Amino acid sequence: MASKKNRTFDYKDIEDLQVYMTAQGKIHPAKRTGLSGREQRRLKRAIKYARLMSLIPYVS
Amino acid sequence: MTEHKHIYQAMFLLDNEEVRKGFNAAKDWIQTTLEKHGLEVKVLRLWGERQLAYTIGKRKRATYLLGWLEGSGDSVNEVKRELYLLGPAFRCMFLQEDAIPEEELVFGIEKMDDSALVIPEEVIEPDFEEPYEEPEEEQAADDKPKEEKKAEGADSDKNEASAEKTEEVKTDG
Repeated sequence: MASKKNRTFDYKDIEDLQVYMTAQGKIHPAKRTGLSGREQRRLKRAIKYARLMSLIPYVS
Repeated sequence: MTEHKHIYQAMFLLDNEEVRKGFNAAKDWIQTTLEKHGLEVKVLRLWGERQLAYTIGKRKRATYLLGWLEGSGDSVNEVKRELYLLGPAFRCMFLQEDAIPEEELVFGIEKMDDSALVIPEEVIEPDFEEPYEEPEEEQAADDKPKEEKKAEGADSDKNEASAEKTEEVKTDG
């Protein structure tokens, strides 16, 4: 799934974030996303900010 | 003590009831609150009106306001405290950033006509739930085994009774 190296995530870009999430709303593990540790942490943070702003659900 | 200034990206969720009264009034209230606490507002623009992913205090839709600010962390905390008590915003988030993107700086402090923003009416669904009714087919299917069971039960009672009688006869003999 990872196309770029050292990529960043924006919490407002919901479509991009949903690629790394299950239909239930869980975050895929790094093993599946293919992101590095730092990128996975960035993704996690962006998803949590998006959830806080009610852009994506906590669970569905 | 010197206050370190940082750049912040801020997102505000505005109550649609307040936005219906006038988007510019709601935006101006937020801008004056930010400036009152010493934050310099670089960008403040409408990000969109959309459905919430989950209800927040019976609200299903909200208007999103995006801002880029410069100021100290203490003033951000003071603004947060005021925003949650007063005003049209019911949720806000401040994120510290390195710089303001050039494509955001183009917007500046956006002015728009109140009539340009169309907010759809929220459909209020009734709270009551319809009583559960079992489907007829399943009931009919359930009845058959019961009758069979009753018949089986009656047969077994008869057998038990006859067995008891034979036992009595044996004991008598």
